[in-house]
Parts: sequence; C-alpha cells; structure tokens
Amino acid sequence: MARDLTPPPEVLCADLSKTFAGGTRAVQPIDLTFQAGQTTALVGPSGCGKSTLLRMVAGLESPSAGTVRIAGAPPLATRRQAGLSMAFQDPALLPWRSVRGNINLALKLARRRAEPSEIDQLISLVGLDGFADTRPAELSGGMRQRAAIARALATHPGLLLLDEPFGAVDELTRQQLSQDLPRIWEARGTTTILVTHSVSEAVLLSDRVIVLSPRPAEIVDDIAIDLPRPRTRDAARSDHVIALTDRVFAALSKGMADGAAFLAAQ
Amino acid sequence: MTQTALDTAMAPTINRRGRAAVGPVLGLLAVLAGWEIAARVLTDAFVLAAPSEVLHYLVANWQLMTRALGVTLGNAAAGFVIGNLAAIWLAGIALVWPRSEGVITGLALLVFCLPLVATGPILRVLFGPGPGPQITLAAFAVYYTTLIPLLIGLRAAPESWFDLVRSYGRGRISTLVHVRSMAALPYLFAGLQIAAPAAFLGAMVGEFTGAERGMGVLTIRAIRALDVEMTWGLATVATAVSVLVYLAIGTLARRVLLDDPPVILATPAPTGRRYQDGWIDICLVLFLALGSWAGSIWLFDLNPFFAKGPQDVFDALFLATDAAATRGTIGMALMESAIFLIPGYFAGLVTGALLAMLLTLVPAIVGTAMPLAIALRSVPIVTTAPLVVLLIGRGALGTIVLVAIMVFFPTFVACLQGLRQAPAQVMSVFDSYAAGPLTCLLRVRIPAMLPAFFAAARMAVPASVLAVTVVEWLATGSGIGSLMALSASLSDYDVLWASVVLVAALSAFGYGLVGAVERRVLAIYAPEQLA
Ligand SMILES: Nc1ncnc2c1ncn2[C@@H]1O[C@H](COP(=O)(O)OP(=O)(O)OP(=O)(O)O)[C@@H](O)[C@H]1O
Ligand SMILES: [Mg+2]
Repeated sequence: MARDLTPPPEVLCADLSKTFAGGTRAVQPIDLTFQAGQTTALVGPSGCGKSTLLRMVAGLESPSAGTVRIAGAPPLATRRQAGLSMAFQDPALLPWRSVRGNINLALKLARRRAEPSEIDQLISLVGLDGFADTRPAELSGGMRQRAAIARALATHPGLLLLDEPFGAVDELTRQQLSQDLPRIWEARGTTTILVTHSVSEAVLLSDRVIVLSPRPAEIVDDIAIDLPRPRTRDAARSDHVIALTDRVFAALSKGMADGAAFLAAQ
Repeated sequence: MTQTALDTAMAPTINRRGRAAVGPVLGLLAVLAGWEIAARVLTDAFVLAAPSEVLHYLVANWQLMTRALGVTLGNAAAGFVIGNLAAIWLAGIALVWPRSEGVITGLALLVFCLPLVATGPILRVLFGPGPGPQITLAAFAVYYTTLIPLLIGLRAAPESWFDLVRSYGRGRISTLVHVRSMAALPYLFAGLQIAAPAAFLGAMVGEFTGAERGMGVLTIRAIRALDVEMTWGLATVATAVSVLVYLAIGTLARRVLLDDPPVILATPAPTGRRYQDGWIDICLVLFLALGSWAGSIWLFDLNPFFAKGPQDVFDALFLATDAAATRGTIGMALMESAIFLIPGYFAGLVTGALLAMLLTLVPAIVGTAMPLAIALRSVPIVTTAPLVVLLIGRGALGTIVLVAIMVFFPTFVACLQGLRQAPAQVMSVFDSYAAGPLTCLLRVRIPAMLPAFFAAARMAVPASVLAVTVVEWLATGSGIGSLMALSASLSDYDVLWASVVLVAALSAFGYGLVGAVERRVLAIYAPEQLA
C-alpha cells in the first residue's frame, strides 16, 4: 500500500475526565500514554465510558478536565491534517452514497487522493467484493461496519480509533478480519486504539490491553501483550495467551466487584 | 400541513404501479358518477352543475379559461419561487446563527397568520394595479410551509455523521455541503409539494382583490352573476391544476430521492435552549414586528390616511372618542366568526382523526382512500367556498362545513401517515403475542400518530381562519372577514388595520395554544419528538 502521510503519533492523556451536563460521570481522571505505532485495546463493561474516552482522544467530546495531546499537539491540529480516522460504534455511513462513495467522501474531507485500485483492494480486504457500488441500506449491519473500517483505513491515518469495529460481524468473518486488518496497520505502523468487548480479540490484536472499571471508567489493569507477530490462530491456543486472557478476565471481574462494592457502600 | 410527506403511504403506488392505480381511478369514477346524479336530481335548484355540464362549459370557453389560467399560474409560479427562496434564506440564517431561530420562526408565523382577506386589499393599495398583490400573497402562502420542514431537515441527521466530518478536521461548511443539504432534500421536497397548490391558492385570493385578469377575477365574476356552471368550471380547473402540480412534484421527488420522503412531525426545537429563551423570543418577535411595521410606513412614506401604524391602531382601539364603538364592532365580528370557526375546526380534526383510525382497522380500503385523500388535500378548498355556500346555503352550516373540510383533509392524511409510523419492531412484538388490530391501534398506533395529529392541528389554525374569512367575505357577509372587506371598500382603515392585527395575533395565539397542548401530550407519549 501507499506511503503513510503522517508518522504515527504518541497520544498522551493527562488527568483526563468527563462529567456530562446531566451529571453523569463517565470517565474518572485518567493518565494514559498510547505509544506511537502500538495497538492498544480498551476493554471494560458496557456503558463504562470507553466511547467517551475515545471521542475525547479525537477531540469530538471536550474533556471536563485534563488534556489530550497527539504528537504533542491538541487533537484539533491532528484532525486538521487528517492525521486520524475513527470508525464509530454506529457505522455513520451516509445513506445516499455507495460504499465507494462513502470512502471517496472521507478522502475528500481529508484532502487526500487514492488510486481507485487501492480502494478496490481495501473493499476486498474487508470482504465487500461486489458491493462497492451498493448503498448502505442494502447492506447488513456487519457489512456496514466493515465498510466503515475500509473508510477509516483509506485516508492512511497516523492514528486509528476503532470503536467496537467488529461488533455486528459473525465469528468467522471476525477472525478473518482480525488476521487481515492488523497487517495493514502494522505495515503502516499506525498508532491504533481499539475498543472491544471480546477479550480474546483484545489479546490477539494488541500490544497492550487496558482494562477499565464500570462507570466512571478507571484503569483497573494495564497488561502488556508480549506475543510475537504475526499472530496466528494456533498461537491463540498457547499457554501464554491463555494466561494473558485469564489476567484480562480477572481484571474485568475485579473491576466489576469493586464497582459493586463501591455502589453498595454509597 | 407540515407533516407533508411526499408520502410513505404512496409506497404501494411506487411498487405496484399498475394494480395500485386502479383504486384511485375507481374512486374518482365513483365521485364523478355521484356528482352527475346529484346534479341531475338538483337540476332546478341552480346550485350544482353536473360534470357533463362543467365539461361542456370548459370546452366552450376554453380560450377564456386558458388565458386566465396562464395568468394565475404565472403569478403563482413567481410567488412560489420568491416565497421558497425566502424560506431557504431564512433557514440558512437560522442555521448559521442558531440563537435567531426562535425569532425567525416566530416572525414567520406572525406573517403567515396575516389574514389574506385584508392583506390583499392593503397590498392592492400599496402596489396599485398589476400582479404585485397576487405574487406577494402567493409568496406569503408558501414560505412558512417550506421553512419549517427545511429547518427540521437541516438537522435531520444522526450526530455521528457530523462527528465523521469533524473527525477529518472539517467544519460547518463541509457539514452543510456533504451532510445537511443532502439530509434536508427530502424535507425540502415535502415542503415544496405542499407549497405548490398553496401558491396557486394565494395567487387566486390575490386576484379576488381587484386584479384585471386571472382565475380569481373570473371566480368573483361568476359568483356575482350566480353563474353556476362557470363557478363549478373554475373550481374544477383550480382543483385539477393543484392536484397535478402536487403529483408532479411528488414524482420528481421520487426520482431524485432514494428513500421514501419523511413524515414531518413536531416543530423544530433548537438545541440548548433554556426555558426563558422562549419568552425572550416572544418579546423580541413582538418588538421586531411592531418596529418593522412602523418602520416601513415611515421608510416608504406611506399616506397616513391609508397606512396606519401601531400607534394609530392603539389610538383607534383605546384612546379615540369612538374607541368603545370600534372595539364593539370588531369584537362582535370576531365573535360571529368564532361561532363558525371553532365548531368547524374541531369537527374537521375529530372526523379526520377518527376516519383515519377507522380505516387502519380495514386496511384494504386504505390503498384506495389514501391516494384520493392525498390528492384532495391539495385542492384549494377556499376556491370552492362559493360552491359550498351554493350547496348548503349562507347560513351557519355552510361556513362550518367549509372550515371543517379545510381542516379535515390535512388532518386525515397526517393521521393516516402517523398511524403508519408505528415502529415495526414494536408492532412485531405485539404480533408475537397475537394482539388484535384494536389493541395495536390503541397501544401502538395512536401514540405513534399523535405527533402528526398535533402538527396538523397547529397548521389547521391559520388554515381555518383563512377559510372562515374568505367565506364571510365572498358569501355570507357576516363576521370578521366581511368586516375587513367592508372597511377596505369604505376606506375605514382604522378598523381594517386593527382587525388585521387582532386576527393575526389571535391566530398566532391559537397556534401557540395547540403547541402548548402538544408539548404536554407528547411529553408523555412521544418524548423523543421534543428532544
Ligand atoms: N451525550 C451524553 N450525555 C449524557 N450522558 C452520556 C452521553 N454519552 C454517554 N453518556 C453516558 O456516559 C456513560 C458512558 O458512555 P459510553 O458511550 O462512553 O460507554 P461505553 O463504554 O462506550 O459503552 P458501550 O460498550 O455500551 O458502547 C454512559 O453511562 C452514558 O449514559
Ligand atoms: Mg461505546
């Protein structure tokens, strides 16, 4: 694939927190650094504040306190240079544009160019061969999500934010995607932040897993995934992977238990 | 009328054009047959011309008719373009400067509530001879019905689409070009479709006020001469033209748009408003309305004998020696009109809603009734006012029936569409418990219908005022419509201006009152509409 237009940035969250206008506290003050070129997975129970955290990193949600720095600059600067792409939890495809049309729009917004053949390659990579000129209404939920992933990759972002990108995709396609897609962002050296509900996916895809507590989100555990790449499905059965997976599960349940105790104490 | 929709209900017509077209055609034939028979029965009463006679008249006078139609269509088209451009422009301002939206819609509503019966003669004096008043009234008749859908449409996109644009570092202009404009297109079409017949109606009412040529002029002449065939012929042409324009825009919309056009429901609620903003806006609207009224009289240096400012109207109503008499005359006329308007308004609302509900219990009929009702909704009811009066007489019943008809069609269509808006998933849940149609109607469909019903009820307020004033003016000779016409011809401009102000204020107040009830009810049944 083509040149990467922006080098992968380091993302720094300092003392970052969010309380919504209604008083809902979604994110506790968090200090977190996402290393340049690494893939970091965020896992945590539903409604804990993962999407909020991701949106604050992109600068789409303003933090109640604290700062986000992408390569030392505020998120807006990165967005202006089209240095980041986000795949939203809801695919956010424009209904009046085909899959290709949606990808082209992203390129236009990002002021980037891409060869049609490269777009075809991307569409085929996410398994949408033959659907390039189909409108979203005629795609299934999972197909729409895959189109949104292709769109996010098309602009060669230095920072890739994926909010449950495989949420509505079947297990087999999911495995396929989680083998194919990391190749792209590894080859490009993209800094990737991945929100997922699947613990095994988090372990297999990332260099580091951050486990969040129930709302308001706090870091319960920060686990380095020191597995060699490329990761195959066979590797997933190794004892080391199982041990890592167990650790993530343990952290999740600990977070839940603490949360319950916290609520009971209130 | 806001809940326009180019019609989800027309969907069957799109899918199975051949078969579905049979229903409306049969319906039309039945109407024509009934009309012909009634006319033959009533032949001595000189009230009803049979379709055959109307056709004969139209063929015999086709040159006269086409010339008049050409003039009126030209005026209507000019007003249509001007009014819609104004609407787009106003929506643009509201978008760029969201805080102004409440004031813009408020002022727009006030102008929309001006009684055409009185603004017509006033515009006639201002413009002198020529097409000025016709075009202005046509523009007045359309801009509001376009503005409101457009305001909704420009915001009718999920938040994530805006986030997408922002995530590439782009701002409002990109949002407007790539998201808002496209998302608003169906709403714009929905507005334009309602606007087209409204423009025709506006132009005709403008011609009532002493134009030289056009359908409106002929209508006045036909009524004065008690020429039954001509009256029916003109109403038929006006109806046919309105239905055709309505259908033409609908067809165009279906070609341009992907999806079924939307059903437009609640009024747009600007985001981030506080409670007191509403009151501040109302005060601003009043201030700006009074200011521009006084300002334009001063700016154009209008003849004080004719052009009365806010101060003059206040004097006439409260300070002048005959103030009590003036108040009495106007109050009396308003009462007379209210006696017709209020029963007609509620009768139209209730029959519209009830019939729509009844029809959903017999879905087979909806396919036939729906296209017919949609077509009839575009009929310029007011131009048929002379007919109704001819048929039912100049008494109370005639006026009440006309108001009811004016309210009935938009309500009926809105409610049918609303009833179909019932969320499919919820209906599936009810189906899975084998709930009967009545249970579904009560528990799911009626709550789903409420927003559309209230939108129709709100828009029906100015519409029923228009109906009652036109009938009073053209036919019955009582009430505020007649008073305004009379004072215009007697050059009693104090009374004329005061009546205009009171009617507009009362219409806007009625609209607001329905809106308040609407918010109460929707807060319980459809809170998402208020978000
Ligand atoms: N715009 C908003 N206004 C008020 N509260 C909000 C808003 N967005 C999110 N919240 C609240 O913040 C909390 C966290 O929401 P968030 O979407 O970040 O959760 P999440 O971790 O992404 O959940 P999921 O895994 O289900 O997607 C929730 O309790 C939610 O109710
Ligand atoms: Mg989320």
